[in-house]
Amino acid sequence: MQFNDVTCPHCGLLCDDLTVEVNDLSVQLKNNNHPLCKQAFEDASFNSGQIPSPLVNGSPATLQQALDAAAQLLKNSKQPLISGMIGDIQTCRDAVALTEKVGGVVDHANGSGIRINTSVMQRMGEVRTTLAEVRNRADCVVIFGAGVLENFPRLYERILTPAQSLGNDATKNKKIFLLDRLDKNEIPSIKNKGAITYFQLEAPSLDSIAHKLLEVINKPIEIFDEIDDTLQILIDLHQTILNSQYTTFIWAAGEFKSDIAEHTVQTMTQMIKQLMEKVRCVGLPLGGSRAEVTANQVATWQTGVSLPVAFMSGAPIHNPILFDGMKMLQNKEADTLVWITTYNSNDNPPETDIPTIVIGHPKMKCANDVDVFIPTGIPGIDHRGLACRTDNVATLPLKSIRTSQLASANDVISQLSQLL
Amino acid sequence: MVIKLSGGKLYDPAHKIDGQVTDLYIVDDKISKTAPANKKIDHSYAIDDCIVMAGAIDMHTHIGGGKVNIARTMMLEDQHAHPDARSGKFRSGNGHIVPSTFSTGYRYAEMGYTACFEPAVLPVNARQAHMEMADTPMIDKGGYVLLGNDDFLLRMIQQGASQTAVNDYVAWLLDATQCIGVKVVNPGGIHAFKYNQRRLDVDEISPSGVTPRKILTVLSKAVHDLGIPHPLHVHASNLGIPGNFESTLSTMTAAEGLPIHLTHIQFHSYGTEGDHKFSSAACQIAEAINNQPNITADVGQIMFGQTITASGDTMMQYFGHEHANPKKWTIMDIECEAGCGVIPFKYRDKSFVNALQWAIGLEIFIQVNDPWRVLLTTDHPNGAPFTSYPHLIKLLMNRSFRNDVLSAIHPEAQQISNLASMEREYSLYEIAIMTRAAPAKILGLTDHGHLGDGAKANITIYRKQDDIEQMFTKPIMVFKNGELVVENGKVTKTVQGITHVVKPEFDRSIEKPLKKYFDDYQTIAFNNFRISSDEMAECIGGEIQIHPCKLN
Repeated sequence: MQFNDVTCPHCGLLCDDLTVEVNDLSVQLKNNNHPLCKQAFEDASFNSGQIPSPLVNGSPATLQQALDAAAQLLKNSKQPLISGMIGDIQTCRDAVALTEKVGGVVDHANGSGIRINTSVMQRMGEVRTTLAEVRNRADCVVIFGAGVLENFPRLYERILTPAQSLGNDATKNKKIFLLDRLDKNEIPSIKNKGAITYFQLEAPSLDSIAHKLLEVINKPIEIFDEIDDTLQILIDLHQTILNSQYTTFIWAAGEFKSDIAEHTVQTMTQMIKQLMEKVRCVGLPLGGSRAEVTANQVATWQTGVSLPVAFMSGAPIHNPILFDGMKMLQNKEADTLVWITTYNSNDNPPETDIPTIVIGHPKMKCANDVDVFIPTGIPGIDHRGLACRTDNVATLPLKSIRTSQLASANDVISQLSQLL
Repeated sequence: MVIKLSGGKLYDPAHKIDGQVTDLYIVDDKISKTAPANKKIDHSYAIDDCIVMAGAIDMHTHIGGGKVNIARTMMLEDQHAHPDARSGKFRSGNGHIVPSTFSTGYRYAEMGYTACFEPAVLPVNARQAHMEMADTPMIDKGGYVLLGNDDFLLRMIQQGASQTAVNDYVAWLLDATQCIGVKVVNPGGIHAFKYNQRRLDVDEISPSGVTPRKILTVLSKAVHDLGIPHPLHVHASNLGIPGNFESTLSTMTAAEGLPIHLTHIQFHSYGTEGDHKFSSAACQIAEAINNQPNITADVGQIMFGQTITASGDTMMQYFGHEHANPKKWTIMDIECEAGCGVIPFKYRDKSFVNALQWAIGLEIFIQVNDPWRVLLTTDHPNGAPFTSYPHLIKLLMNRSFRNDVLSAIHPEAQQISNLASMEREYSLYEIAIMTRAAPAKILGLTDHGHLGDGAKANITIYRKQDDIEQMFTKPIMVFKNGELVVENGKVTKTVQGITHVVKPEFDRSIEKPLKKYFDDYQTIAFNNFRISSDEMAECIGGEIQIHPCKLN
């Protein structure tokens, strides 16, 4: 059976124009050939009779036995960590409720990535835009890092080079600049993207390119002793931005050096706010490819604060240093891990020697290695659901396109909560 | 279940009951004036010396959607300063200025509110707004969908589309976003800001090729033609600009006599007189409201202290960003529909401008004669958090208290304001109008906001106290749909409200150009944009109640 307008939750763009064919338990993407997208859907496929059962210490168990075992681990826990958080809205709602009930900490598998943009938002606010605005309004786009185009496979086709645009020729045929450092390996697929002007600049890092561009924006040209090729390119780019109607800076925080990424995102915001004094300029931070945006939105409205959230005192507390989930595991500050991940069988929990409960994708590679594994259906395949897009504005529906008998993650989490 | 409430003084303006002692019965989830035949009374409460009103309704409060989450993120210190620990079956949360969803529901219920309406639902963000409201317990909810800066409508108007076609689009969007009303924010201005235009007057042609006046005229007619009970909800042009009262008066005339609701009108009632070139135009605005029966308003009163402003009006929020306190601000352009701006703000009684803003709001309350047409709001959180309502009610009901506060504000603001000489004190009956009967009436909620036979048993009971602020802060009992949910100002039972919507009829042929628009320009498939009623129930968590529209 064929389904149209299917939403793909495997990157933050949440493209919802997919056609997917479902035969029994097999799922095949029909109208998008990007290997990342195809592979993501293939990961959902089974042969008949392969639906896994829950496992307790690697041995098959009933759902109830697995829930009882998980509940016992949580009852014995003094400091549980609920992480992964790679799921749809309802899964995240129930996971936050579970964390609150057990007085634990909830964080996302990529919590440190979420924090980069969140902390800049907390400190200085941001100027942002959404996908349709870029598609229709932007006449100038500056992309920071070639990896952005790799990790968001259809950004170029769907947003940057639209067949039609609400604006004019300049918004349809955008000036697109890609900035990266010179010694970065050439990414072959960029050669096929003819609309892009690719500047590979002499610079120690992508971060330093952003910082240099801020300097160019903030300072008169005369202040620079020497103008080398890199600087000249940035000076010309600044002029192009000033002559454009609507410039969008696109970045993915994961492309920056992890130890200074927050500073670099702050620099992006400073640049945009500075340029806004004269022209329209906006940012489009990309992320959410492991459902980070969904998890963080739910946590923020339910608890009033962003991830990570700790409930030891009964009230939610956000402290990204004390309650960084991955660091808690490294420092042995958590004694039980609940790992929730529904979209991808490779999203294994970090290696840890504490009791681990995994609730999620039925083909999880780690299933036999954890204390309790409860397979669930995949939102957007086996269950209806909702997911938040990278721009923090659009929420897309996930369809139920397969009948598999797998319980939904939110049902499993909810049942687990009731046992506590 | 039958509950008897005996001996209470009823304030029920919808039935012209002004403090009359009357017994009241709750039969299941409805109110009855008489004891039901052949049914025993399960509970009886003697409420002598108590004041009985319908559950209060906040018809303009920002409680759901992306901008609220941005505000929560930006106000971390305030969130942590006001923790709500989990207690038994009650969820935890935090925040005073922009509380988490559970805390929002509990705080509203504890003040006797039983319904709240989110006034700025961006179509593309409607799912999130409804999800946040679904996670807000205790109260009924509803939303007004934002129109008037969306490229689809602006192009329709610019290309001379018929009023009928516009009506079909408006009705389609209401259905697709599960909303109860239509809101326009700075008509055409948010769109113009995307073209770097920093100001747009009512009769100025915007980059879209149309004037704000035209947008207002077309939309107010659409709302009227479709028979949507709530008039077009208008956030007028030039918010916060000295001298903006003139564009507010122009906005009123743009409706051409059809009903419109001007929201947070305090922010739109500024003159340019005096040394500071900033003065009160409350008198002109109140007079205009008094003389034009098609107009209703809510005030958007400011209160002194820290808050955060969250608005769709990117143009004017950007204008105000230099006053951000603390110094941080967020602006977003959104999906060819609208935008949002989120800016923390600290209103100070020793600031001339802030002090005068405070006085202007009260001057409007006092000078608009008809309480059915001036509703009590702070535009939460923009003027102040909703928890300041009891304080605001005291300011309205107690002149000497009002003048005491006035005497402490910036001296020049005191001098310039006529507030000290205004003698009017609101009565309990008038407060019941502006917080219950009037919002229910202008939203078309026929079984809410009153205590008549068959009304939903949303009832708030206050113990009479000399200090009116204390009284309104802590009702002794609140019933939601007939269930006792608040006792002595504390939530004792969690209930889930419903979502009020309208679904006016329309010609489905509008879907053809809409589908083409989505295919050509948008980033969501047309078929995925619409929120179905079963999605509301199954995925979002908001069961809907449809209110009738009477086509005109």
